[in-house]
Amino acid sequence: MNEWKWAAAVLAVALAPCLLVCLRARVPSALVALELSSVLCTTILVLLCEGTHRQPFIDLALLFVLLSSVGAIVVARLMEHDT
Amino acid sequence: MTPRDAVTGALLVTGTLLELFAVLGLVAMRDALSRLHYVGLAGYGLLLVGVAVLVRQSFSLIGDKALAVGVLGVALGPIVAHATARSLRIRAHGHWNAPAESEGEP
Repeated sequence: MNEWKWAAAVLAVALAPCLLVCLRARVPSALVALELSSVLCTTILVLLCEGTHRQPFIDLALLFVLLSSVGAIVVARLMEHDT
Repeated sequence: MTPRDAVTGALLVTGTLLELFAVLGLVAMRDALSRLHYVGLAGYGLLLVGVAVLVRQSFSLIGDKALAVGVLGVALGPIVAHATARSLRIRAHGHWNAPAESEGEP
């Protein structure tokens, strides 16, 4: 296990508090936790790409950073008038 | 250990610690707007990790894409944060341009 995989493992553990906030906090905080966890997932994909020398992971990361940002904006807009 | 390895390690550790600090901020803060500050911070952690890959790989296919991911993370983070904050304000006050006296926590 190299340093890239260790960093990916540490960040994967760090997803747990985000999940906890998603489950226990109110909806606005849950959306923020979702946005932060998407950044963490993108970083994990970059780290796994370098750690395993598998190029498809970096393509996944590139797509994920774009789609998660668009998704977060869409969810935020849908949440505006949701009570 | 070559200087390149040292720089790569420093960038990797700093990027990872920055993201852990962002998670800590998310857990420690009480309301959504305070928590929102840490989304942008995590984007800079992603940029540092992307630069670490670039330093290790030089300008290869993976290095270029890792840099692109980091730059996109930093560029899109404030946009997402602004859209979310605007949405939270509309959700709390009915309109983003609501009067100042109706300020409150979302």
